[in-house]
Amino acid sequence: MKTEVLENAGKKVVLLGNEAIARGAIEAGIGMAASYPGTPSSEVPIVLSSVAKKCGFYFEYSSNEKVAFETAAGAAWSGVRAITSMKHFGLNVASDSVMPVAYTGVLGGYVLIVADDPEGWSSAQSEQDTRHFSRMARMPTIEPSNAQECLDFTKMAFDISEEFQIPVILRTTTKVSHSIGTVKLGKIKKPKTKGRFKKDFERYYNIKPNLQMLHKKIDKKLEDIGKKYSNKFNKIIQGQGDIGIVTNGVCFEYAKEALQELKIKPPIAKIGMTNPISSTFISNFIKNKKTILVLEELEPIIEDYIRLIAKEANPRLKIHGKDLLSRAGEYNLERIMPALEKVFKKKCDINFKTHQTKTLSAQKNLPPRKPVFCQGCPHRSTFYAVKKVYGKDAVFAGDIGCYILGIFEPYDMGNFCISMGASIGIGHGITKVSDQEVICFVGDSTFFHAGMPPIANLKFNDGKSPLIVVLNNDITAMTGHQPNPGSGVTGMGEKVAPVVIEDVAKALGADVKSAVAFNHKQLVENLQQFKDKKGPRVLVSNGACRLLTKRQNQKKGIKFIKFKIDQNKCKKCGTCTNLFACPAISELREKKGDVPTYYIDPDMCWGCSVCSQICPYGAIHPIAPKTVSKKNGK
Amino acid sequence: MLTGVGGEGVLTAGVLLARAANLEGHYVRGVQLHGLAQRGGTIPTFVRFGSEKELSSPGIMQANADLVLAFEPMEAARAVFYARKEKTNFIINDNPHMPVYANLLDVPYPKMNTIIEKIKPFAKDIHIFKAHEMAKQELGNTIYGNIILIGAAIGAGFLPLKEKNVKEAIKITVPGDIEANLKALDIGIKLGKKR
Repeated sequence: MKTEVLENAGKKVVLLGNEAIARGAIEAGIGMAASYPGTPSSEVPIVLSSVAKKCGFYFEYSSNEKVAFETAAGAAWSGVRAITSMKHFGLNVASDSVMPVAYTGVLGGYVLIVADDPEGWSSAQSEQDTRHFSRMARMPTIEPSNAQECLDFTKMAFDISEEFQIPVILRTTTKVSHSIGTVKLGKIKKPKTKGRFKKDFERYYNIKPNLQMLHKKIDKKLEDIGKKYSNKFNKIIQGQGDIGIVTNGVCFEYAKEALQELKIKPPIAKIGMTNPISSTFISNFIKNKKTILVLEELEPIIEDYIRLIAKEANPRLKIHGKDLLSRAGEYNLERIMPALEKVFKKKCDINFKTHQTKTLSAQKNLPPRKPVFCQGCPHRSTFYAVKKVYGKDAVFAGDIGCYILGIFEPYDMGNFCISMGASIGIGHGITKVSDQEVICFVGDSTFFHAGMPPIANLKFNDGKSPLIVVLNNDITAMTGHQPNPGSGVTGMGEKVAPVVIEDVAKALGADVKSAVAFNHKQLVENLQQFKDKKGPRVLVSNGACRLLTKRQNQKKGIKFIKFKIDQNKCKKCGTCTNLFACPAISELREKKGDVPTYYIDPDMCWGCSVCSQICPYGAIHPIAPKTVSKKNGK
Repeated sequence: MLTGVGGEGVLTAGVLLARAANLEGHYVRGVQLHGLAQRGGTIPTFVRFGSEKELSSPGIMQANADLVLAFEPMEAARAVFYARKEKTNFIINDNPHMPVYANLLDVPYPKMNTIIEKIKPFAKDIHIFKAHEMAKQELGNTIYGNIILIGAAIGAGFLPLKEKNVKEAIKITVPGDIEANLKALDIGIKLGKKR
């Protein structure tokens, strides 16, 4: 899809929240961007990576969020405007450096984008509220509600960061990052890409007495920023009545529309700066109200603060929030409506409960559509081989990446999934106390991100050890095909020598084998050789992401060789559908109970050939390329 | 509301409509629920346009969609949550995608009639087109099916967007063969008008 991120100033375009953030950074004249991708923040680096050369700033995909944060911090220390972006778990990884850099401060404007994911659309770990981090790190934090604010706030964040010499967090949630909206573009500032690090012991060395001095300094900065700028981000929508709404982020957008549905117009206070929250702003808004309803996703941070302020400003104020709405999950119009109905004693025209009952019964008996490995995915082939050799009783330690999809039937090969690289650490712990076989699945990007220290630990604290299967598909696939140290190309498209996983694993002390992911026999042989051994063992299963190969082939005009089932040889055992489960292969039945016909959809087949290798009756064959082109030519 | 299965071009179609509405001078909001989209899951996408005063939420409230543009029939049935009889028109692409797990669970893919019976209580009007089949026949590639379906919605009068703005949006959005995509739109509009 063509992007409109670089359109001219003054033009109105529709951008994704994340695209608008990227545009804001470009307008602010960034000289450096470094990132490790994590959805819902992934489009920020995707955009920056695609335009970096054209705009003249430096971009890199770093090996993890901590490294990315540090890289951008180095640039900001040297006086160059820098941005990094990550999802909430990324901040957990980066936090070890985030906390002290907040103390040291920066010279060039430094903005840290953190996208939280309430509801867990793209996260399988925990729901987490970055505003807790903001308070812990003492970092100013602003929250846009829509795409236009994503652009404007990002730009303002750079100015504040530079004025007060402190990194600023711009926090979004999924529905801010992934929603589109009309955006009026501003002027692009020419990037400043060169700087110089100026030595300053008192500033950059957080040991006492510097530490306490820096701590006092950051507290003062935060206070001053709140005084000077919170009103630029906070706003009041005037209205009628003594019941007020206080809200932030996307909830502001929901609130406005839900109130229209209820045909009421109460006053609304929108908090755009959530660290520090302005006590004057809050106390002015609540002092003449009887009741306040706080609409904020995840933690009751604004709500708790209002309770604190209300003790002085309005002790009889009734405060609603998490008593009516959950901390868990994200909000939307349906979820906030009952709270509004209750507080304002109004009824929405649509009866949600009746509608939900009716729609649920209409959707009964529809077969579910769960996400699966793509057709031709190298992971499917690897999982299939591992299950064949190890059976279903081994402990399958999962990690973060497309291979999460291995949790679904028929594979059922993911017993836990904690954080980047955790499969190996936890797997090691299990083998220390249990006789069970443990198989850890780690992707190439995850290997470089957090997989290396736990492998070194296996050799150091040797024992039975788990088997590590590195699913190397040459790319960070799930977040949208970003390169990693093994890909052989940088975030700016420069070709470089790839870091070879086999070499690294060997250097870390593991016994290493390598196989082609689309070669079933080779995978099985290697796995069997490893099976009864002890000590750190790493099998690297190499096969490029098929979706990526498909796109590359399309550009080159290359077509996959398709496969078909010889109906005379097919014994209808169901191996290809029920055990291998390729989405291109279906069982066709006229009616329930009929003996099915097995069929490969030629439009869907991406020619990995693995089905033809595992068919027990040799019934699957490639279609000669000529036949394919004839068929397409019809 | 646009809905379908990953790989059908639902996301591109959503961006296309949003840009067409922007060219028409509307304020635009919307949301993409992707993540696992490309990997066989359902992808509902909302596109909303109108005045800035009236719309702010990126998503549509339940029972409140004006149009459900379904690229896949069963996903149309799953969209009834956002539909109601007094308001919602359905445009459905007769191009079923069997979910892989239906094989395993032995739940048969419902017949088109069953799907329509499920949708009827929530639909003002239902129109079914074979957009992908048409794309293959007329343009030699199913990838133009999504543009044909958008054309059909415009032709049938359910999408108040001017043809010239949609064409402009195609030019600034769609990668690859612009001419074929413009042709697909014409085919779709004709198809919709026949209804």
